[in-house]
Amino acid sequence: MRVSPLIYLLITALSISSASAADLDQANESYRLGSGYTVGDSGFRLGGYANLQFNAPHKAPWVVRTHDISLFLTWDSGSRLRFFSELEGGDVFWASQQESPSTRYGHFEFERFYFDELINDNLTVRLGKFLTPVGQWNPTHASPLVWTTNRPVATENLFSTHATGAMLHGTVSVAEHQLDYAVYGDMSSELDPHRSKDPFDNAVGAYFRYAVNDNLQIGSSFQHYKLAFHQGATYDLAGFDVAWSYQKHEISSEIVYRSNEQNANDHQWQGFIQGVSPLIDHWYLIGRYEFFEQTTEKTGQVGVFGLAFRPLPPLVWKVEYRWGQHNEMLAPDGLSASFAVLF
Amino acid sequence: MTTMRIISLILMLSIAQYPAAAGDTMAIVTATGNPIDTLSIDTLKLIYLRKSQIDPHGNRWIPVNLPITDSLRHDFSLALFSIPPEEQEDYWNAQYFHGITPPTVMTSEEAVIRFVSSTPGSIGYVRKPKADNRVKILQLINPGGTK
Repeated sequence: MRVSPLIYLLITALSISSASAADLDQANESYRLGSGYTVGDSGFRLGGYANLQFNAPHKAPWVVRTHDISLFLTWDSGSRLRFFSELEGGDVFWASQQESPSTRYGHFEFERFYFDELINDNLTVRLGKFLTPVGQWNPTHASPLVWTTNRPVATENLFSTHATGAMLHGTVSVAEHQLDYAVYGDMSSELDPHRSKDPFDNAVGAYFRYAVNDNLQIGSSFQHYKLAFHQGATYDLAGFDVAWSYQKHEISSEIVYRSNEQNANDHQWQGFIQGVSPLIDHWYLIGRYEFFEQTTEKTGQVGVFGLAFRPLPPLVWKVEYRWGQHNEMLAPDGLSASFAVLF
Repeated sequence: MTTMRIISLILMLSIAQYPAAAGDTMAIVTATGNPIDTLSIDTLKLIYLRKSQIDPHGNRWIPVNLPITDSLRHDFSLALFSIPPEEQEDYWNAQYFHGITPPTVMTSEEAVIRFVSSTPGSIGYVRKPKADNRVKILQLINPGGTK
């Protein structure tokens, strides 16, 4: 891949340019695990995350792979304009019960690439490629930030996880509580030449998340869209999500409903509810129930039971077992484990 | 008698861990040239979560923190967010995923004063007696809440 030497050169160049930026008043925190590498006072920050994953489904060979190696480049010099990109390397390493270790499935793409212009304290305009704001899982799906190796079906199956276009987003105060909002339009067919996995053809959508208090957030999502590879079908999607946390205990849930404007029989509900409880010494217990209506099968249902060991906030080991019915296509039975780190 | 000794020991250990924390009023400070004169606790909270990034006059907020081991940082975090700074790491990890960085960390209260007095848009906190005429006080906070 030609990307790696380019990134190395960029890191080297930025490091040299920052060598004279020492400031004795500022704590010497140029690199910290989970926060990346700050390139002096240039406004650049480099970092990313990695995820090594093991899957052993009941009816398929086991696989070990680096599911993600993502590199972040952030630029924020204190002006109203800032930049963020995430270059993702998928399946760079792959070994399975039937295949010897190799890099043959490795692929790279910019998962995110956008500019933010801060218009005022309540409004930011984003242009570029970004994660689709549906629910709470998809916008923060990085492996070190979530509790299970496998993501719930409802957080990715009915919509494109990425959008390319423009977004207006920000935070406003409503009844003395924070309301985060995002309104966006997608033009993937014109602007995303890489054609990411199951992209939108075009879309408009909105997301609202209200902080009821410090422990409880509720959100709702709306979308009207066409998917590039779905033969012109036009979909409407509505979603609801809730997240509650108290002293490291968490309960979260997301539900989405999608209907097809051209076919009244084509409509699906999907959702999940997940609970997390701390055990001892950085160990956590996770339980999740999922359901997902499917186009060609009966409604799938799965249960996930897992353990996570988080010795430091940016670093997590996970193991989980998933089982269910009518779930072979989207969430097969089996054991999964992973190690993920924000670096 | 044994109970009294245990209580005394706990009190002594607490004082040793946070030698300057007991009753220190915190002053939220900014540059003297900043046209803003007061700041609510709710706004301050949003600034330190990096959810509020622009002040009413259109300048970028530049919040600064003390080191995570500093007792005043501990008090400030408890007063604003009701959790110690270590427990905010999950929040900052999630923000890092979105390209948002936590407030810059300064090495001492004097460093905060020097930075804030010379950097437009910056805001920090020091013990009230340390807030001299180089900075403007926007708000006073007792360890348990506002004053």
